[in-house]
Amino acid sequence: MSVLLHTLSAAPSSAAFKDCLKVLQPGDAAVLMGDGVYAAVPDTEACGALLATGAQLYVLDTHAQLTGVTCTAQGIGLVDMDGLVALSERYCRQMAWY
Amino acid sequence: MSTPGADAFDAEGFLRDLSDWTPQVAEQIAAAEDIDLTPAHWEILELLRAYYREYDSSPAMRAMVKYCGLKLGPDKGRSIYLMSLFPGSPAKIGSKIAGLPKPDNCL
Amino acid sequence: MAEKKRLLIVIRHSPYGSSLAKAAVDVALATAAFDQRVELLFTGEGVLQLMPDQDSQRLGVKNIGRQLASLPLYDIDRVYVDAEAAERYRVNLDAAAVAVERLSPHDMHRLMVAHDHLLGL
Repeated sequence: MSVLLHTLSAAPSSAAFKDCLKVLQPGDAAVLMGDGVYAAVPDTEACGALLATGAQLYVLDTHAQLTGVTCTAQGIGLVDMDGLVALSERYCRQMAWY
Repeated sequence: MSTPGADAFDAEGFLRDLSDWTPQVAEQIAAAEDIDLTPAHWEILELLRAYYREYDSSPAMRAMVKYCGLKLGPDKGRSIYLMSLFPGSPAKIGSKIAGLPKPDNCL
Repeated sequence: MAEKKRLLIVIRHSPYGSSLAKAAVDVALATAAFDQRVELLFTGEGVLQLMPDQDSQRLGVKNIGRQLASLPLYDIDRVYVDAEAAERYRVNLDAAAVAVERLSPHDMHRLMVAHDHLLGL
């Protein structure tokens, strides 16, 4: 069963982002939103660090579009609001990093 | 020494400025609550003030009971004992008479 | 009656930089005052709340360190800390206002998974 869903809405340089990175594990999912979407930019340090955790990664499509992060790294899936709701149903716990 | 006027208290009767508190003020607040202060009351009031100095907050009932038990022994660390002194809501009424802010977690 | 849900408050902000630290203490004490199960995890900058010798008297603000010291009176006895962050900020946990258990990142994840609800503040 899937257990821990993280929503990550803080910028890659923030303390919240680093705190989240510290506990992300394979089997978790993380959805990038708000300023967190910048971590979906390919070949950035933040993106590499996220991918290295082995967690399932998603970026919220409207936020990516808003910020111009249109080209997202391989391994990071696009998710819409319905998809986010579906994830929150699949994972029984959620932790917000803002 | 003059006692503080009505504007020194908030709508619920809590002292706005903690430094306005004196034992005379406590008598005044207690009278408004229909409580005659006995040595048993004063023991608890002193304890509430010590709690506030130590933890920078007024205790909710749970913490008040436990703190009384730790400091005064198990006979007094019981809600029934505190209820007998400050009927209704000991944490709220005790804090009010002790000149402390209203406990946060108290309805 | 249904088994009580377990709440973990994940505290990750410094004590005086915002009102979030005060909010975390308030939530913890309120949860306990209503007899619910709650545990605390201090991580990242949140470990700064455990700094000994906080003294708010001259500024007239609430002393977060002292408020944390009252946790055991609310029967909040399980308090965990991100050992790595405490080390990074040189927080002397032995002198902290409340007894804590030191955790590795892996243990922090296990702790989160062991709770029903997570609240980050």
